[in-house]
Amino acid sequence: MTPLVRVPDRLVSRTVVLLGLVAVCTGLIAAGNLLPTLLATHGHTLLLAVALVAGGELLRIRMPSGRETAPLSSAAALAVVLLGRIAGEPTFALESGLVVIVVSAGLAIAAAVRRARGDVVGTPALAARAVGVWVAAGLARGVGPSDGTLWAAQLSSTTSLALVALGMVVVAAVGLLTELVLVAGIRAERQRTPWVAAVRDEVGEAAPLTLAVVVTGPMVALMAPVLGLLALPVALVPLAMAYSAVRQYASNRETNRQLIGTLSHLTEHGGYTPEHHAERVAALCLRIGRVLGLGDRQLRSLEYAALLHDLGQISLLDPIPDGATVLAAPADQRDIAEEGARIIRQAETLDDVARFVETQTTAYRLVRELGEPVPLESRIIKCANAFDDLSRGTDDPVLVDAAMERIHLGLGYEYDPDVVDALTRVVEDASVGRVDGRSVVAG
Amino acid sequence: MKGRREGVGPHAATTIYLVVLAVGAVLLAGFSSRVHPISVGPDLIAVLALAVLAVAYPGVVVGDRVHLAISSIVMLAAQAVVGPAVVALAGALIGPFQGSSWQGRLFNSAQFSIFGCVGGLAFLAAGGTLDPAELAGVTPVVVHLALPMVVADLVQVLANAVLLSGMMRVARGVPVRLHIGLLLRSTGAAAAGYGVIAFILVVLWVPAQLGVVVATAMVLAPLLVAHWAYRQHADELQGQQRVLGVLVAAVEAKAPHLTGHSARVADLSGRMAEHLGLTPQQVADTRIAGMLHDVGQTTLPTREARGLDLTDPASTTVGYPRAGVAILGDLTFLRGALDSIETHRRALADDAAASLPSRIVALADLYDLLTQVGTPGGTVYAPSQARDLIATEHPGPRTEELVRALDVALTRAEELST
Repeated sequence: MTPLVRVPDRLVSRTVVLLGLVAVCTGLIAAGNLLPTLLATHGHTLLLAVALVAGGELLRIRMPSGRETAPLSSAAALAVVLLGRIAGEPTFALESGLVVIVVSAGLAIAAAVRRARGDVVGTPALAARAVGVWVAAGLARGVGPSDGTLWAAQLSSTTSLALVALGMVVVAAVGLLTELVLVAGIRAERQRTPWVAAVRDEVGEAAPLTLAVVVTGPMVALMAPVLGLLALPVALVPLAMAYSAVRQYASNRETNRQLIGTLSHLTEHGGYTPEHHAERVAALCLRIGRVLGLGDRQLRSLEYAALLHDLGQISLLDPIPDGATVLAAPADQRDIAEEGARIIRQAETLDDVARFVETQTTAYRLVRELGEPVPLESRIIKCANAFDDLSRGTDDPVLVDAAMERIHLGLGYEYDPDVVDALTRVVEDASVGRVDGRSVVAG
Repeated sequence: MKGRREGVGPHAATTIYLVVLAVGAVLLAGFSSRVHPISVGPDLIAVLALAVLAVAYPGVVVGDRVHLAISSIVMLAAQAVVGPAVVALAGALIGPFQGSSWQGRLFNSAQFSIFGCVGGLAFLAAGGTLDPAELAGVTPVVVHLALPMVVADLVQVLANAVLLSGMMRVARGVPVRLHIGLLLRSTGAAAAGYGVIAFILVVLWVPAQLGVVVATAMVLAPLLVAHWAYRQHADELQGQQRVLGVLVAAVEAKAPHLTGHSARVADLSGRMAEHLGLTPQQVADTRIAGMLHDVGQTTLPTREARGLDLTDPASTTVGYPRAGVAILGDLTFLRGALDSIETHRRALADDAAASLPSRIVALADLYDLLTQVGTPGGTVYAPSQARDLIATEHPGPRTEELVRALDVALTRAEELST
């Protein structure tokens, strides 16, 4: 059926880019012919700010889920938003639009460097940053009478500095949250996943670093009257420590993922399962899981369980032909799943993974009719495994159609209809449920 | 700060060292109070409150290193606000909460008090001011606050390293210079970071007039994030060890007669490597190689794996160790263990070419196969018979050295089990 209104491709991405452009244009209009004067009076401040925003943007960090974030750049941008009195320099009294110009200049330099290196630039995400800064700058410098804005309050000797600090943290949080929500929208659109789930994951994963980022901008603004421009690099040090710790943790998580991948290869090296079967099933499970709105933690366990779903075959005396468990007798399928779960339980931290592996063979009708507690993750693995076994891991349309037909025959009896529906969407559109972390960058 | 602050033995030398440190801490604190008398006021209360905070967040242990010691930051900041005598007092209060035995608590108390106090004295000697509110302009802040704090930070790190290394020398015989070098290398960057954070805390607290509560809250937010991330990091490392255990479980599912074998070989290999003076990293790699040396057996048909006679020297042509390396080769953190995994089956026969870690794993493997696993026919050797058999089949001084290391490892394991 042809839809009445055709939604343009990448509507959210384009809207965010457009908003970013509006923010920059507003700044340019506000600047008018003031820009040369500003460069002359605030040359040092502008240079340092642009350099830190650009440098921070180039030092992105990849989170365990694959998302990339640039906390140092976000913090530097929010510092520019809040900067007021600077020892040894003129007071940083800029219109909010001009602040956006300064930050955008840093982002543009970083984008140019990335392009020169051949890396993905991620323009919509950079635009989301500009919009976040625009919102924060508007709140800090534009809301209230000219002498009653938050920015003006930091210059006043009558306002409590503790209150000013609190206000700055709130403004920084609003700016950062705006950026995160926009990035989640871009991601949801690209992956064809629910926006609510994308926002939840984006904010959830970024939450700890967000806490560190939102205090860094105010810290710079409050130290600058004492330390001058030195406040900018100095205040980034605690955040840099947090950044380093998060990087180590993310890298370790990646190592653990590789280790699970190695475990999944044991049955391939032993000739029990076809090459890359586990990797394919895991990739398919992740895409289905995203379409069904699973969170990051659930997706991680689902991926591990999918990678290890055939581990129980390792001790078989006689391998199953082509390792295709979907064609094995139900009792054999159960034995393999139970043996796999027994082995996985040796790692006490993987209990949920073992449970998903153990119950992956249960037919959906037992869930429907007898209320058997089979986790959604297990139902996803069952369906993805059957698809890969039946299509023999190829994208040959004949085999894919035959596999889908066979799975549809077991709809509601063997397989969960919601999962089959998600599988159908994933098989029909190669972009559904895929993550390209490098192209969507959040702060 | 890095340090093993526990495990202080009950030997006389250790006790004497502890008493000397405690007396030294008291004398130093007394001297400091003469240099800059303690004045009771809001700043003193604030520093003591920060000390409580440092106790609540004692740092995260990842591997053998302590990350994010908030106590170091608190003491550095306090040096610039209340002077060395109060820092000595705060250190003495924080120390006892970081140890489980009385010796550990006493040592930590004296150590924290001393290094905090000498750091505070160094701050004053370097021209630091205890009234940072009076500093006007960037240059005075740098000259009378930032630079003296850098000096205090360096002195504090050095004092910590000397005191800890002294304890390691007295309690465990570790050469002082070696231990100081290790500590300085592993804590240098973190100490610089603590120095900057303490400086920020002081600037926000006093010259920027935010007060201690708001200043601490702002400085603490990124530190709590780092704290959280290091905890995650530690959990992931623990998870990594457990997943390695799953690899071993897969081997044991394939060949049930090897149940427990990998763990025993890992333990023996690690202890032998320690006795033979390998570096901590080599010891860790040898232990992991011992744990994973049979992973390649998962590639064999199940019947073949269950029928292998690994005690038979003629079976050295079995190619599964290479298959094990093919499985594990992508894991960079196992790189140091791969050679031993690949060559352990021929390491004793090909003595000259094999590395020491490989020969260690080979001997531990063979010994455990002979004494615990046995042959497919059911023959299990007594420990003395197994040692004689190994010495006869692989004669030479290098094997003798390994067998001596094996004896020590077995004795240590026995001591620990009792």
